[in-house]
Amino acid sequence: MSDHLYAYGVVEDADFELDIDGVAGATQAYTVSHGPLAAVVTDIDTLDPELTDENARAHDDVLQDVLLDAGGRTVVPMQFGSVFKNARTLKNVLRGGRRAFTKSLREIEGLAEFGVKLVVDEDATVDADEIREAAGERFAAASVQEEENDRFSDRLVMNRSYLVDRDERAAFDEAVDAVTDDYGDVLTVQYTGPWPPYNFVDIEIGTQQ
Amino acid sequence: MFIIDDLLLRPIVAVGNVIHSMAVEELYDVEAIRDEIKENRLLFEIGDRSEEEYERRREELRTQLDVAREARETLTNKVEVKQ
Repeated sequence: MSDHLYAYGVVEDADFELDIDGVAGATQAYTVSHGPLAAVVTDIDTLDPELTDENARAHDDVLQDVLLDAGGRTVVPMQFGSVFKNARTLKNVLRGGRRAFTKSLREIEGLAEFGVKLVVDEDATVDADEIREAAGERFAAASVQEEENDRFSDRLVMNRSYLVDRDERAAFDEAVDAVTDDYGDVLTVQYTGPWPPYNFVDIEIGTQQ
Repeated sequence: MFIIDDLLLRPIVAVGNVIHSMAVEELYDVEAIRDEIKENRLLFEIGDRSEEEYERRREELRTQLDVAREARETLTNKVEVKQ
């Protein structure tokens, strides 16, 4: 029985459906509204979905679709595994977090997150600090905000998320191209996005599911 | 006699525990395995590692992770593992 709701993120009040593969085999995403907000959800039959590669990707995919839907929506992403017992409990959360959600939506309006990883070639020796500084300067000039992420590998010279104005996307693309031109012979640039601003939204709402 | 024996033994037991803890820490470092899983994925994504190699390594690391988790759970009940 799939009477629980898996929530992906929160948007300004809207009513839409998306045919998409969601977490735990769901095939259609829809909205649950409360006041000025709506949550994007799919049905789910467990309160505790497994964090598999497939489910994590599905979570991202749905959010990306929302992000690109209707010419670009602003969405406050929820973390993986946000399951609500039913629509009532979800609406309670929307009500309880109304101020925080509204504030976040306003802050990230028109912005999207991009990820940049600089991965040094296996045999290359580089001055990591110098690269970080030079590349960081270029990226910072074309973005609104940045966030340092964990460098989980010795080969990762840089792992950052950038908040970029969607209208300034071209400038950020150019910055990435420039860094690729400068250092392409010793490293690989992994450039991903647009993502919902996972790394720039931090809302904690105490609730009972 | 019993007291003296106990005192003599104590430091040795303590050292034994520390060594044991360090071994557990090193062998079953869940975070390090997680990092390796991420690295494996990254290297595959940027085309530095073949799909075959990626899949093989992924399975290996997953098994390691399961073993490490289980071992930590069992061992932390017996010896104190420094976090």
